[in-house]
Amino acid sequence: MTAAITTFHPPMAQPGYRLFDGPLRDAPDVSAGQIGVVGMPSDWTHSSRLGTRFGPDALRRATTLLQAVRPNGVSVDPDTGMRAAPAADWLIDCGDAEITAQDVGATTESIAGMTETLTTAEAIPLALGGDHYNSFPACLGYSRGLAKRAPNARFGYIQIDGHLDFSDRLGAWGSHNHATNARRISELPNIDVSNMVWIGITGWVDGGDLALIEEQGGRVFSAGDVHKMGAAEAMRQALEHAMKDCDELYLSIDIDAMDAGYLPGTGSIVHSGITPRQYYDLLDGLSDAPLGGLDIVEVSPPLDPSERTEFLAAEMLFRILRRFRTRPVAEQ
Amino acid sequence: MPLRSAPLPRMAGQLSFMRSQTKSISDVRSGDLAVIGIPFEDTSASHAGQSLAPRALRETSVYFGWHANPQFSHPVDIDARQDISTDGLHERLCDLGDISSGPDDAIHAALKAATLQISGKGACAIILGGSGPLSETVRGALPECQTAQLGGIPDEALDFSIAPLTNGRELTGELSHSKQLAAFSEWRDSSKPLFVRFDLSVFETSLSALCDRPRLGGCDLDTVAQWLGALGQHDVGAIMLTGLNPSRPGMGVVKVGQRLMVTALLAFIYARLGFGIDHPDRQTSKENVLA
Repeated sequence: MTAAITTFHPPMAQPGYRLFDGPLRDAPDVSAGQIGVVGMPSDWTHSSRLGTRFGPDALRRATTLLQAVRPNGVSVDPDTGMRAAPAADWLIDCGDAEITAQDVGATTESIAGMTETLTTAEAIPLALGGDHYNSFPACLGYSRGLAKRAPNARFGYIQIDGHLDFSDRLGAWGSHNHATNARRISELPNIDVSNMVWIGITGWVDGGDLALIEEQGGRVFSAGDVHKMGAAEAMRQALEHAMKDCDELYLSIDIDAMDAGYLPGTGSIVHSGITPRQYYDLLDGLSDAPLGGLDIVEVSPPLDPSERTEFLAAEMLFRILRRFRTRPVAEQ
Repeated sequence: MPLRSAPLPRMAGQLSFMRSQTKSISDVRSGDLAVIGIPFEDTSASHAGQSLAPRALRETSVYFGWHANPQFSHPVDIDARQDISTDGLHERLCDLGDISSGPDDAIHAALKAATLQISGKGACAIILGGSGPLSETVRGALPECQTAQLGGIPDEALDFSIAPLTNGRELTGELSHSKQLAAFSEWRDSSKPLFVRFDLSVFETSLSALCDRPRLGGCDLDTVAQWLGALGQHDVGAIMLTGLNPSRPGMGVVKVGQRLMVTALLAFIYARLGFGIDHPDRQTSKENVLA
């Protein structure tokens, strides 16, 4: 174990929250099989409504508060009837990556460096946005780490989102911003667009981007598809498509796929989006997926004075991380 | 006016509705969709703020200014997998700005005159309110019109009301959408133009919380968009948006109400232009564009 913490940048108000009240350690000290949390408090690559720089701190606070009101002992999931108890040593909070405003290269390498370290060590990086651009450096580091750990391995990609984010460029923001993250990920060496899936897309999308995805074999499920076929079936098909000839899955959770009536605290709101129940069902559909890395992005606390957005997002993390944060308990 | 050659950040530039061209009222042509704002409210409202709605609606509309952004290709409705044509939108949609401030009488007189001029030229006025009572002035300027109202409180027995507030006359409350459309067809006199009042209270309150007349059990976005798409296929002299209060206490930062209204209004605009609507009598986009 290294002697000093070198990557953590403490929040302004000490002692600060850690995700799920987990311990605070350097990225190199996270072990195989553990979740390694990387904060990405950056929103200057968003083109309009800002505030996601406060997202990591809000997620840390919300997960800690929600965890405090959950049972410490054995509990029963009312949906499944499964009995479980909290697991130990399952998550390490590695603090925030260093963000350099107006220097996309430095910010990208800072985030990617942390997720690469975690992936190389066979830990699972969980990156907390920030705007959705930051998903690219998080996945870049994961991709590099996977290439080191298993040079021939390939990964599939699922993005739950109200938007495609597959533009090549966005006006004055150029090629690296919250509308291009999926496009940049598609250019990584150990993924193919045919293993990329989008779920929850809403409203109008760019026809050129959609055609480019589908011509290369990618798959898009709209919010309407989720309403019609059901969240569980949509995710079953999505996972099957994403994992064809792949070894691991990278998941990008953009909270803005959820209808703005439920979740207003995000930069690019959508209507007729998916409901909280559907969102949770989508994440439950990944309970056995070979998760290699993930991120959750676009939580913008200043845009939601009711604070419900950060708690909905925290619940998403409870869902997707359930198999790590709990251990099954046999029937008595 | 030529299209811009480079995309403009959403928060920058002249704030016209959907980045449309700006015109003076004297330049409006037959077939135009002419947007005009009335940033005023009556002092009897329970919360001040509806006068801020025109600006809020324009700000949100910029997100849908596809036709003015050369970096995008055409939009696709992802659920319907239907290409949306934007040909002609730039020629037909224009923003006339806001009615100037002044004494109440002058504001009402200016609104009435503007409505008369726009409809007199054979154009459709898209009026961004402003509080609901101002729509009485618009109705007064269009006495030959039938009035269809989404949300709000109906005050004329001859109007057709879609999801009115509970103390209004419920023409459509228990009917299915297809039966409501049939009732509308029966009511509609196609020899007369329509005046459409579109109040935010038509929506279920939990969708936006930015309405001064909250209601539970209101419509969802798809239902309202279907109605506005259907109404847009008729001869509409004016449509007026009311009921949005962007500064509802504690909710001003949550810009959900204006997004709901503009998203639904798009269905009306595209129906008026004849784009993307499956209607046997509709014109194609090229036929519908004025030279």
